[in-house]
Amino acid sequence: MAMALEGVRILDASGPIGHYAGRMLADLGADVIKVEPPEGDPARRWGPFLPGVDEPESGLQFLLLNANKRGVTIDLTDAAGRERFLELAKTADVVIDSLQADEAAALNLTTADLEAVKPDIIHCSITGFGLSGPHANWAYSDIVGCAVSGTMQLAGMAEGPPEQLPDMQGYHSASIQAAAGIMGALVYHQATGEGQAVEVSMQEAMSMSQETAMMQADILGTNRERGVPARGLDIPGLGLHETADGYIYMMASGFAGTGFPGLVGLMDATGDAQDLTSDEYTAFIAEKMNTNFIMAALADEAQRAPLQDKLDHMSDVVREFCKKHPKLYLYQEGQARRVLIGMVSTPQDILDSPQLAARDWFVDLEDPGRGVTLHYPGPQWQLHGTPSTLRRPAPLLGEHNDEVFAELGATAAADA
Amino acid sequence: MTTNGHSSNGSTPRLLEGVKFLDLTWYGAGPIATRTIAGMGADLIRVETEKRPDGLRVAQPRPADAAGYNLSGYYNNFNTDKKSVTIDLTTERGHELGLELVQWADMMMTNFTPRAIRQIGMDWDTVSKANPGIIAMYQPMQGMTGPHSEYGGFGAILGTICGVNGLAGSEGNPPAGVGTNYTDYVVNPIHAVTALLAALFHKRRTGEGQMIDMSQLESSVAALAGPLFAQVNGAGAYVRQGNRVDYAAPHGAYQVADGQTAEGDPRPDRWIAIGCTTEEHWRSLAAATGHAEWADDARFATLADRKANEDALDALVADWARPQDGEAAQATLQAAGVPAGLVLNATEVLADEQMVDRGYFRYLDHPEAGLRAQDGSGFKLSKTPCEPARHSPLLGEHTFEVATDILGLTPDEIADLVAEQVLF
Repeated sequence: MAMALEGVRILDASGPIGHYAGRMLADLGADVIKVEPPEGDPARRWGPFLPGVDEPESGLQFLLLNANKRGVTIDLTDAAGRERFLELAKTADVVIDSLQADEAAALNLTTADLEAVKPDIIHCSITGFGLSGPHANWAYSDIVGCAVSGTMQLAGMAEGPPEQLPDMQGYHSASIQAAAGIMGALVYHQATGEGQAVEVSMQEAMSMSQETAMMQADILGTNRERGVPARGLDIPGLGLHETADGYIYMMASGFAGTGFPGLVGLMDATGDAQDLTSDEYTAFIAEKMNTNFIMAALADEAQRAPLQDKLDHMSDVVREFCKKHPKLYLYQEGQARRVLIGMVSTPQDILDSPQLAARDWFVDLEDPGRGVTLHYPGPQWQLHGTPSTLRRPAPLLGEHNDEVFAELGATAAADA
Repeated sequence: MTTNGHSSNGSTPRLLEGVKFLDLTWYGAGPIATRTIAGMGADLIRVETEKRPDGLRVAQPRPADAAGYNLSGYYNNFNTDKKSVTIDLTTERGHELGLELVQWADMMMTNFTPRAIRQIGMDWDTVSKANPGIIAMYQPMQGMTGPHSEYGGFGAILGTICGVNGLAGSEGNPPAGVGTNYTDYVVNPIHAVTALLAALFHKRRTGEGQMIDMSQLESSVAALAGPLFAQVNGAGAYVRQGNRVDYAAPHGAYQVADGQTAEGDPRPDRWIAIGCTTEEHWRSLAAATGHAEWADDARFATLADRKANEDALDALVADWARPQDGEAAQATLQAAGVPAGLVLNATEVLADEQMVDRGYFRYLDHPEAGLRAQDGSGFKLSKTPCEPARHSPLLGEHTFEVATDILGLTPDEIADLVAEQVLF
């Protein structure tokens, strides 16, 4: 079947902040050539590690985010290396790098330098703070992006420190924005034949993940605090609930679905509804447990106080019920009754997900260079006409030097 | 020239000039994707109803005592550059008008559940019959097929299922998540943008439209896949470790002394994030903090040593940071090339000198909400800027215009359809 980016060549010289961008575009069919320094990309030596394989081939984050790419080693700090890189750039539609402004200028690898050898190049820069502004050359790592974008301030327990988002979301946000920007530039190039610069700042890339915090600060002049959702929503059937084997999150108090009556039905099915099926509670639930009441009660302690005993009792019954049953049961049976319940999944739960299994989402791919077969997550989207595919494992260090440089020689000979 | 373009500068080319987009999304992940498409210059029509308005239209934050559908910052930040048309697609006549918009459009997107998509008659069989070349993205929570495809939920539900809650935070604390419906804002919408543009790229090469089945679960897991990829491939079970990571130490948030903002308000909750991913970062940190001896300490000689003695390491860094002024500590560390940044709150992000210098936030005047900050584009394109240019639409602001110009209805017909509550 056709691939959306068949025939598009991308030179990916980015560090860890940009690995995911090239991976997505490679999955769409682009020929992505990863350019690493001779000692290898730093993430090759980042744990966790693949057991039984030596460095620099065992860093699992590297293996995940650089699958589907070919790999070459070029020393960009060396003039001959840069020349070779520019020769490669001539054959590419897109160059991705993560050089900061000073580095790009010192190496003569700015957008203008690339345009000098390939006038219609799409040049994507992915850095912590962008190429302009007073912080353009600041040092960054993933957690710094979480911090300066405002997202970290919202995460964590009220009494504890702000917490990073898991699994490199600073880097991933930057890469996700970069992939979209590159894709946009490719569409424009297709229409006009013109390239352009695509620039991503991790700080900006994550900003929208502040949810409503930015708008609240702008409109009301107040800042959202972390820990509030866990602490503030003690309404029956709303929020995190402990189960026999973990946790679920419930929104069974209005909003959508069958709401609290649906939850009572779920509890009654295993004889756990206690007195919530009584006439008294049935009437109370019918009258009070709806979105209007919930929103009002959340906002106004006075509305809520006279009802507190009943609400507390209902919460107790629900919490007792949840503790008796496994999370997968509560999730699937609840959802079957249109009660909004989500299971707090561990990595293993996701690997075992019946939904992902039914959609054949995970993919196994042999990695002959490392002597293993790896189990990969599937694509972000299912394009029915041009599906993303996983075609090759992450390159060994310098694995495609001969192949790619030979192609380059052939291209140069053909041009001459 | 589209009316939602950068009309103040007619010479700026628009990336998606002339692309017609039908937006049948609501809440977060869908509308943010289509906002981005609209920001690229597509002519984008969002269909809404007053019978069942987007919950974000009535959500916080709003000005105190404000009522109505047009004042929510939540909605207004995520729907810039769109036209709003109110059509009840569940009525027979409304559905006919909806299909006329499908025929008008090059691309469409919805994030309803498969059941709701069938109810409004916008499933792939129907829309591809009406418009064989269309690109249609379906972005329900768990995709269009599979045993959980009809499951309902908002971002808070998805966050638990896809692993945000199970991965974030520290062992010993409940899996309370990250304080937001995280994957609603960048991960799912901007993934969707890439997929839509890839389909457009293909269509322009081949003339072929296609269906895109975009499961928000799969999209979210793909962006959070490091831990499960490691675990399933033999690296051992994932352990939640708060601000720590396997590949760097020190790596955390360290409390600093109360600083002063420009306005002089106290900030009791003030932290600096530090993440040393190289040996050079670590040695520079030791030197910059006046503790060159740390770099010579055998407990901290290598990353493996620092990970093995991370409690002691973090205690030393925390002790150094605690009496520091935050801004000064950040300046000291950055001057030494150490990755460090203050944990900013939203007010500080809006005023951050880097964000301001680069003009990330855009201030757009909204007829009811006033001059308000909008998130800019997460990527800057040098020739075809994608920043929001027009305020989010009032509910039904463009109903008359679209009914007239695109649907070809007369004023009398429009009045009748309003009376019948098909258009409202």
